[in-house]
Amino acid sequence: MSKPVLGLVLGGILGIFDGLTAYFTPEARTMLLGIVIGSTIKGVVAGLAIGFFSKRVHSLPLGILFGLGVGLLLAFLVAAMPQPGGKHYYFEIMLPGAIVGAIVGYATQVWRGKSLSTA
Amino acid sequence: MRDDTGIGGSADRFPETRSSAVLAAQSPDLLERERGLAILVETYWKPAYKYLRLRFGASNEDAKDLTQGFFARAIEKDFFDGYDPARGSFRTYLRTCLDRFAANERKAANRQKRSPGAALLSLDFDGAETELRREPASAERGAEDYFHDEFVRSLLALSIEKLREECLLRGKDLPYRLFERYELDRDGDQTISYDRLAEEFQIPVTQVTNFLAFARREFRRIVLEKLREITANDREFREEARSLLGVSS
Amino acid sequence: MRWLSNATVAHLRRVAEWPDLGATKYRLLGELGRGGMGTVYLAEDVMLERRVALKVVATSAPAPEAAARMLREARILAGLEHPGIVPVHDAGALPDGRVFYAMKRVDGQRLDALAPTLPLPERLRIFRRICEAVAFAHARGVIHRDLKPENVMVGPFGEVLVMDWGVAKILSEPPPATGEGAAASGGGAAARPGGGVATAEGTVVGTADYMAPEQAEGAVERTGPPADIFALGGVLAFLLRPEGAAPRPLSAAVRKARATLPEDRYASAGELAADVTRYLEGQRVLAHAEGPLERAGRVFTRYRAAILLILGYLLVRTLLILFAGHP
Repeated sequence: MSKPVLGLVLGGILGIFDGLTAYFTPEARTMLLGIVIGSTIKGVVAGLAIGFFSKRVHSLPLGILFGLGVGLLLAFLVAAMPQPGGKHYYFEIMLPGAIVGAIVGYATQVWRGKSLSTA
Repeated sequence: MRDDTGIGGSADRFPETRSSAVLAAQSPDLLERERGLAILVETYWKPAYKYLRLRFGASNEDAKDLTQGFFARAIEKDFFDGYDPARGSFRTYLRTCLDRFAANERKAANRQKRSPGAALLSLDFDGAETELRREPASAERGAEDYFHDEFVRSLLALSIEKLREECLLRGKDLPYRLFERYELDRDGDQTISYDRLAEEFQIPVTQVTNFLAFARREFRRIVLEKLREITANDREFREEARSLLGVSS
Repeated sequence: MRWLSNATVAHLRRVAEWPDLGATKYRLLGELGRGGMGTVYLAEDVMLERRVALKVVATSAPAPEAAARMLREARILAGLEHPGIVPVHDAGALPDGRVFYAMKRVDGQRLDALAPTLPLPERLRIFRRICEAVAFAHARGVIHRDLKPENVMVGPFGEVLVMDWGVAKILSEPPPATGEGAAASGGGAAARPGGGVATAEGTVVGTADYMAPEQAEGAVERTGPPADIFALGGVLAFLLRPEGAAPRPLSAAVRKARATLPEDRYASAGELAADVTRYLEGQRVLAHAEGPLERAGRVFTRYRAAILLILGYLLVRTLLILFAGHP
């Protein structure tokens, strides 16, 4: 599995789980399905981007930072979308989203995949 | 399997025909005995003189008398017949005999005169004294080490002299002069180089290289010959070679 | 007669031992070092215009045994073509009869001098290279028998070379006919017809601190690759010295390599290298029985970034859930 594909898959899976945690926020529970789908798409897109970055740049700190940044950015875009009731959940969406991006960044950096082992 | 003993075989190249002066000095044949003793005296008299000056604090006159007396007595009384190669090097044996002789002489109130008829060895004691002044004994070196150092100096000086004589005899004066200039006269002169020699002697650099190589080769051969002469067997030769060759003083 | 100063005497003593390279393609440049059986000189190969190290039999060495031994050493090296083993270029005899061989001139430092200046991971990587070279030699039926930090050179580009195969043993070589032994490093060799110089039973060869028990007893027949493993354990212990308290997994690896019985040691230099690699990669070192706490610590250290990120996410999520609805 290549790094972009790993990013895509992992980003999608973590996006599903991240979206499901909305269950614990009563106001968001009613829109759970939409949140999960949106979070999954966000995760897939972020994961793909992070995976491509990790393919080009071989640096664990930079990979984590890039993932953090991409996760933060996409989470911001989602949080900034108009919500019923007009309330925006920037903090609740961006912070976890950034960390998920960082996790995908870490995973794609340490993943050996098709490339030769460099022991 | 290949016979490697024939390869190199450095023992074959050494002058096995040159017999040991130590063994010759013990020979019943008078001429052989004299030859052996002459070589041993030639090699050891200067180290003995300097050693006596250092070890016993003898004045130059006393050391001269002791040295003369020791070798004269050694010749008269066949001191060297008592040497057994299995028990150590000849150099150590000689030094031990010298110690004993000097101690006994000191105990006796009057130094025993050499018996009439014994040959007075003609040795350049003034030269030895001058050498001592030029290079005094180092306080850190023990007497035994000092004797070894002077023995090495004596052996090498004799080898240089032999090299000079042989080169002269064979019409190889230039190689000797180059050797002298490059290896012997270089004290403090770190700028000496083959190019400079070529300039000084008005010869090509390649000739400097070849002549120096020749002289060094001959020098080594002579040193090893001399070493063979003053050792009794192959084991002693190798031990002396180990302590003499290559190492810094 | 000419008077010779101390400086001149010292110089002439070296000159008298210098090899006469006139009939060879080498030009003498200086002296690099001296051992019991030979001296190593720096020379220039004028044909190939490169510097080489020339090892020449010492005059004080017993001939023809010394000649045979030197040639044997050269042949062993010639048969071991590996990046971690110093390559030999040439062998022959000088006009004065002394045997010599020419090998790669290694520009670098001895491991015993260099190791204290390096961080642990770098020392361990060097150690792995040594193991690789030794494993290669073992696969070719050759045991070094004198492995120690002083016999390893590290070049300026990190290349590692195992040197001084003067007392190496060829496993397939039959023992000498006579078994008279002599306790001397490098000594006690019998020059056999045909030129082989196998070590007589009872002879002790090697360096005390790194010598396996069977080697120290002079049990030449029983001395095999495990003796080199023992020595490698000694080298590893040396490399761990700057640490003060060495990491426990590596101490365990040292103990296993230096087990008293050969059968209790690592089965090969490759296995020892593999355990060191495991340590470097944060995996479990097989020679070390780690407790649950130690294992948890190792796993945490190895995956620390991932664990911290996941815990961070869970913490943030938990806090958000707990304080949801609070302004």
